[in-house]
Amino acid sequence: MPRIELINVSKRWGNFVAVDHLNMVIEDREFVTLLGPSGCGKTTTLRMIAGLETPTEGKIIIGDQVVFDSESGINVSPAKRDVGFLFQNYALWPHMTVWKNISFGLENLKWPRDKIQARVVEVMKMLKIEEFKDRYPAELSGGQQQRVAIARTLAPEPKVLFMDEPLSNLDAKLRGEMRTELKRLHSDTNSTFVYVTHDQLEAMTLATRVCLIDKGILQQYDPPLYVYNRPNNLFVADFVGNPTMNFIEATASKVNGKECELEFLGIRVKYTGEKDISLTDEKVVIGIRPEFLPIKEGGAIHGLAYSTLPAGMETTVKIKIGEEILSSVVFGSIDYDVDEKITFDIVGNGIVLFDATTKNQVTLGSVQVIK
Amino acid sequence: MTLKNISFKRILRNLKTFFSNPANIILVVFAVILSIAVIYPLIILAFDAFTIHSLREAKEINEVLETTLKKGDLTFGHWLLLMFNSEVEGFSQTNFWDPLWKSVLMSLIACLVAVLGGGVIAWFITRSNMPCKKFISTVFVFPYIMPSWSIAMFWENFFKNSQITSCYNEVGLLESMTGICVPESLLYGFWPTAFVLGIHYMPFAYILIGGILRNMDANLEEAATILKASRFKILRRITLPIVAPALISTVLLVFASSISSYTVPHFLNANGSFNSISITMRSMLTTGQKGKGYVIAVILLVFSMLILTINNWFTKSRRNFTTVSGKSGQISKANLGKFKWPITALLIAFVGFFAVFPLVTFVLESLCAKSGDLSTLTLKYWTTTEDLDVRITSQLQSSQGVLHNFTIWNAFGRSILVSTVVALFAGTFGILIGYAVSKNRRGKLANFVSSLAFLPYLIPALSFGAVFFALITMPQFNWLNVANTNNQWSAIAICIIAGSIKFLPFASRSGTNAMLQLSGEIEEAAIITGCPWGKRMTKILFPIQKSSFISGYLLPFISCMRELTLFTLLTDNFSLITNTLQFYDTYGLGQISNAINLLIVVFVIGANLLVNALTGASIDKGIGG
Repeated sequence: MPRIELINVSKRWGNFVAVDHLNMVIEDREFVTLLGPSGCGKTTTLRMIAGLETPTEGKIIIGDQVVFDSESGINVSPAKRDVGFLFQNYALWPHMTVWKNISFGLENLKWPRDKIQARVVEVMKMLKIEEFKDRYPAELSGGQQQRVAIARTLAPEPKVLFMDEPLSNLDAKLRGEMRTELKRLHSDTNSTFVYVTHDQLEAMTLATRVCLIDKGILQQYDPPLYVYNRPNNLFVADFVGNPTMNFIEATASKVNGKECELEFLGIRVKYTGEKDISLTDEKVVIGIRPEFLPIKEGGAIHGLAYSTLPAGMETTVKIKIGEEILSSVVFGSIDYDVDEKITFDIVGNGIVLFDATTKNQVTLGSVQVIK
Repeated sequence: MTLKNISFKRILRNLKTFFSNPANIILVVFAVILSIAVIYPLIILAFDAFTIHSLREAKEINEVLETTLKKGDLTFGHWLLLMFNSEVEGFSQTNFWDPLWKSVLMSLIACLVAVLGGGVIAWFITRSNMPCKKFISTVFVFPYIMPSWSIAMFWENFFKNSQITSCYNEVGLLESMTGICVPESLLYGFWPTAFVLGIHYMPFAYILIGGILRNMDANLEEAATILKASRFKILRRITLPIVAPALISTVLLVFASSISSYTVPHFLNANGSFNSISITMRSMLTTGQKGKGYVIAVILLVFSMLILTINNWFTKSRRNFTTVSGKSGQISKANLGKFKWPITALLIAFVGFFAVFPLVTFVLESLCAKSGDLSTLTLKYWTTTEDLDVRITSQLQSSQGVLHNFTIWNAFGRSILVSTVVALFAGTFGILIGYAVSKNRRGKLANFVSSLAFLPYLIPALSFGAVFFALITMPQFNWLNVANTNNQWSAIAICIIAGSIKFLPFASRSGTNAMLQLSGEIEEAAIITGCPWGKRMTKILFPIQKSSFISGYLLPFISCMRELTLFTLLTDNFSLITNTLQFYDTYGLGQISNAINLLIVVFVIGANLLVNALTGASIDKGIGG
């Protein structure tokens, strides 16, 4: 069964480095999302695995077949890699009906006629598009086109399915529905999915593992909740989560094993980490997820309600403290007056300590305000 | 040693990867072909401008420069003798400087006429609530489809009169209908030539400007309306600046075409009052002053290159807004109010006069025994089996009525053959180049190939013809010279070669535009399913952009069918239908040349309408893009 391995894969256009010595392994039947800001190299990575782009150097293995190796000059054509590819704007052929769009690929694979017939009917049923079989793509809505594109990709039963931001052209509601269905599809088809997106929510909700890329360099490759809770560095921490993590610059002192003292925004706290703390110098950044800043009466820290954004189920409160604005998420709806005085705490043991110089995570831990 | 081996292997591997992509193969192949077909002839032409071609030239140059050059030697003599000839009083003035600056002036006036006329009509058709748009826009394109001299012929048919000596007492339609005799300067010479060229290129301007007005996002103008800009201000501050690159492009392209145009100045120079630079060049090339003729060809070429450079500079991405296209299709159209019908009537009269009326005059002229005299109507010139002129019969050619005239029909057949093959070559090359260029958008090689493919457009047809003329007079290519072999297949072959290159630009442009409109994913989706390259081209890419691609075939076909200037040096008087037209005209059989012109125009317009109806392709799609 296919396991995809990338070894030291790089892609350069002149002096521009799109992907820089990428190493990763995608296990069989995983649902991996490649996540990062636009232009970070994620689509390039996907296209290199699929064979639509030729890497400058490195080695790519799908299953037990080396499909690309710059050293020995192997470059297997995309058609022979047994992969499916779902394109961002679907790339449905406008001059072919839905039926023809789906069957065309099977004809290329020289399937017998009756088998093609049966398979097309099958995937159309699976994606609930039987009624559109004689329509042309232009006569379908965005969501229907999307389904046809998925059906066309699934028809040859590829072992690996690549998807390049397939939901970005759909409206929010439809996108939500399609996410649910894609996740179902993943378990129904028993294939490996590799999925490119710049939407962190999509990456988090769909994937079994998230691969974060920035400027062509792999930042973190872990299960979604692990990425959320234990970001490797400031980039990952900032990119994942909405509202984003609060970052506060602080000065560390009295570092002693797992403990140290931090000073920020006029507050002094005692920080206890999971492991020993080692820093370049005293400059650090602490990262606090909004849910770790509960607003309550008698909280240890004082601030002003800068603005309140109730969304029904939860409420995001922007707290002004000194010149900083922090986000806090509170369950349920509350509404504060502008500039109302409030107090809050910093709770939990998921407070992340970053080295301000290297921008890397030092440890996770908890804080206690020193009165 | 091993190090060398490794790097050699690496190069080999890189080459293998490079050539595994069909687009790269196409680029390399066309880089080679076009270098040979476009650049090599240019070098030959440049050499010819410095070479002594005959004993007569050698003698002339040796006398002036006090040298002892022989035939075949290189010299600056042609340039000196042409531009600064001190031996023959006024030679340079009458044979170079006067024609040159008058031709420049003529081209500028033609540009003005074309852009003003085409722009105004484009605006009315895309931006106002004028009725009858479809009719006007269909018919208005006719003058561009017709052979370039058609309007000139019509002009002559219409305005010639008994007061003008160079008309040999022939009477034009205007005089026979109203008795009005226009002065000679309105019939022949500088002003009519400039104006007629302007009319010929007006549809071209209309297509280019109209395409942009149509594609322009109406939001841009609506945004200005909401910010309380007046209609006039919107036109001046929003619309015009956005259309400006296209306007400039039009001006430059019309200028380049006009200055090198040969047929219109030739037709409207019956009294010899205005020798354009192109006429001067042709007469030098055919009267044993080849060196000087090639010098003019080189100068015209330099003009065109300059224009290409300026055009490229103007249409660089930063200044080019023409790709603006938004989603708002609803354009607020100017309400013409009570002027609606008067303006429509005026425009219909205008397009009728220049697009439909010429056809009527061609019919009438072919039927009048005495030109313009409607009382002498006869079918003789179509149906007679008698010989109309023994001078022609003595050349073993037919001078019977058009329907029985083997000279005409053979030439017509050859023209269709040449045009069809040229269209197949140019159109297919255009699609392939378009494909390869769109796959390597920023590649140096792709840029090189696409510039080379566009270059022939800017090489004046006469210079281009001269280049190939120079080629076929070389001993090793003599077999392509009909004057030498006396075999029309030689003419057909060289015309196909020259035509395929000369008419490649529009085909490659429409091919590139069509390919660029297709997202790369459309093809990749087929690659993933294991569809081979040939099948991708024929089953996916071609069907989707069918009408644009067919336009890419149609344009070379039409252009080639009506082309005279390019082929005039490469053919004899009977090779192609356009040759015979000129031939019968010089023998004073205006009825037959009018009939031939009618044949060409009806055939070309018919082919255009037929292809349009069958496939939805039309020439404006090819140019506009």
